[in-house]
Amino acid sequence: MLSRVAENLYWMSRYVERAESVARLLDAAFYLELDAAGLARDDDGRGPVEGILSILNCRTSFEALHPVADRDAVLRYLTFDRKNSQSIHSMIGRARENARGTQEAISAEVWSEINRLYLYLGGAKAQRRFSSSPSGFFASIRKACVLWSGLVDGTLARDEVFHFLQAGRYLERADQVGRILRAKSHHLHDPEPGPGVSLRPVHWSSLLRSCSAYDAYLRTYRERVDPEGVVRYLVLDADFPRAMRFCVARCRESLHEISGGDDDGYGSEAERLLGRLDGELRYIDVSEIFDRGLPRFLAGVQETCLRVGEEFHKAYFST
Amino acid sequence: MGSTTQAMASLFDHYAGVGFDEMFSAPGVPRPHYAAMFERLARLSPEELERRHKVADLSMRHQGITFTVYGRDQGVERIIPFDPIPRLVSADEWQLIERGLKQRVRALNLFIHDIYHDRLILKDRVVPADLVVGASGYRREVVGLQVPKDIYVHVSGIDLIRDVDGSYLVLEDNCRTPSGVSYVLKNRQVMKQVFPSMFVRHNVRPIDDYTSDLLAVLRHIAPAGCEDPTIAVLTPGSYNSAYYEHSFLARKMGVELVEGRDLTLDRGQIFMRTTRGLQRVDVIYRRVDDDFLDPLCFRRDSSLGVAGLMGAFRAGNVGLANGVGTGVADDKGIYPFVPEIIRYYLNEDPILRNVETFRPLIPSHKSHILNNLESLVVKAVDSSGGYGMLIGPASTAAEREEFARKIEENPRGYIGQPTISLSQHPTFIDDRIEGRHVDLRPFVLYGDEIKVLPGGLTRVALPKGSLVVNSSQGGGTKDTWVLQGEAPEALRGEEHV
Repeated sequence: MLSRVAENLYWMSRYVERAESVARLLDAAFYLELDAAGLARDDDGRGPVEGILSILNCRTSFEALHPVADRDAVLRYLTFDRKNSQSIHSMIGRARENARGTQEAISAEVWSEINRLYLYLGGAKAQRRFSSSPSGFFASIRKACVLWSGLVDGTLARDEVFHFLQAGRYLERADQVGRILRAKSHHLHDPEPGPGVSLRPVHWSSLLRSCSAYDAYLRTYRERVDPEGVVRYLVLDADFPRAMRFCVARCRESLHEISGGDDDGYGSEAERLLGRLDGELRYIDVSEIFDRGLPRFLAGVQETCLRVGEEFHKAYFST
Repeated sequence: MGSTTQAMASLFDHYAGVGFDEMFSAPGVPRPHYAAMFERLARLSPEELERRHKVADLSMRHQGITFTVYGRDQGVERIIPFDPIPRLVSADEWQLIERGLKQRVRALNLFIHDIYHDRLILKDRVVPADLVVGASGYRREVVGLQVPKDIYVHVSGIDLIRDVDGSYLVLEDNCRTPSGVSYVLKNRQVMKQVFPSMFVRHNVRPIDDYTSDLLAVLRHIAPAGCEDPTIAVLTPGSYNSAYYEHSFLARKMGVELVEGRDLTLDRGQIFMRTTRGLQRVDVIYRRVDDDFLDPLCFRRDSSLGVAGLMGAFRAGNVGLANGVGTGVADDKGIYPFVPEIIRYYLNEDPILRNVETFRPLIPSHKSHILNNLESLVVKAVDSSGGYGMLIGPASTAAEREEFARKIEENPRGYIGQPTISLSQHPTFIDDRIEGRHVDLRPFVLYGDEIKVLPGGLTRVALPKGSLVVNSSQGGGTKDTWVLQGEAPEALRGEEHV
């Protein structure tokens, strides 16, 4: 496959994954604010929706434009503002540009869906929907992103095209889960490492919702939501599609398919790094994570994800 | 039947016949091959037609079937307006068109080969040599260059119009990189989705083979000894106005769509940069103009092409479609000679006529043009897309003065033609059907044999009375049905839409 096309595919699915993540974050935060607004303020008096600005590293740029923050301005800034490169609209716009430049590699359905979503975001219908119910609106964005991923799964052959898309999708997802966990656990200023600390369950539920993991978690553990359980689920679970370990394993599989290496070895530096991370997530115990300190552990994982991205770039996109 | 008659009355209520009408031989009397379509349309209510029309538009927008408009709103993507009423061509008419196009393209290809090799036609003074070497599409860099199978014009689009008596005339030849075929294929697909009922009883010739035929043409010109050639479509990039088409064709042929930056030259061969290193490319269907193809050979500032491509082509290491230098046949200064070119190489009379053309280089022609600017159309010889022309009857005195000055300064640069009214076709305009002017661009492939796609791009000038069909100037398109066999029977009253 052309290097340019491979790079476009890889970033296309990263952008879509990121847009979906933003939609989910905003939805969960909005929900939390409605549900328990008083309880949800952090030390600076910021509500959960405003807190998303920090997770996405765009607080400074937002404040430059909006000296007085209100919820609606934050939601719009992160959703529709094309001047904000992290907004859903910007992200889908870039994904769509990439798709436009690689139409011959992807299926007509995959192209058409991202194009439709892009046109929807720029239209009056999206504005109306957003105004009448942000929650309903975010649900429609998430649905469209999931549909897009489903079309990738359902209409593309399992060849290089598919695996570059997969690699981008799961690397981004692992990174997003790490980012969300880091922000939220820090935000809750976990005082003592180790289980038993009193973290407010509502925040952990919200954290699970941010990763679409709430129901799945309850089905798996059938018990109350505690920090240890949440971290075990979101970081170490092998079967939940938004758990870090799951994402790392899928990304590694796709990298392996792309490099075409044999079953024992690895074909690229990116694959080696991911393999090591995969091993760690497979065999580490959740108490060990808390012993090491959750933020430190998560920072390490994110650092690895970053390096995987760089190595991937070197190996395939700069022929 | 009562409601049918009413609907018929309302849809065609304001229909006025002007010039040659494709559907009607006399007011209210459809031509035999349109009879069934006329009745079918009459059964559709304006609301129903409008609703389906919107579905068709939306479908095109979602599929990204767009072109990019340059100028005012830079980089705005638009869909070409699609008119839901198809244009029908009877089997007999098509037979004539097909024969005429094959003849014309065969002769033009021989002409291009000749002027870059033996130049017999110039030596015999059938076409003036200075006109040829002075044409903006002439490329001295390819003089003497051998091209695979002696084919230059692999893909062409020949624009046809109809005179007041209905006879088909050739308006211009497009032998460089004609675009529009993707709209032909997409229009058909959308018609089948949105107006399946219209196809009933019409024996419409399929057009789906175009991309596999194009692929066969490209395989045909692979370097000698290359059993399974790697083929690529070369596009200027996603900001080009015809990008959709480039991508569409690559996808339908199952080949790579490359940009200049994806290609590189190594030891005389062209390679593309892939995730598994460099891969050799054997045939390039290039949708990049000659000037931008190779900065070492043509424009040095071009980043759209590949440095050294012409060297690889010259060495026979890569096949190029279309050939380089074919633009000389598109030059409107050469156009008046095409009938002579056909006679010269094929010893046959032209099957399709040209539009009468006056050349300012001939003194009597020049004075005729200058004295009749109000009734003539004046075109710059190297222009296309409806730009750089004066339509006399619609012009202002200032515009006529400007063109008169241009013609005096550069007689080689212009031609004059009588204003042909163009045939009109029923078109859906604001909840009723009105007549609008149309032309037809059929596509011709030249490989192992010459094939004409049974269909083509019918372009329609949407503003009332307009004669400019170009999409850049407010033109739309219609699906074009070439019918097989006898004219379709008209419908009986009891059948439902």
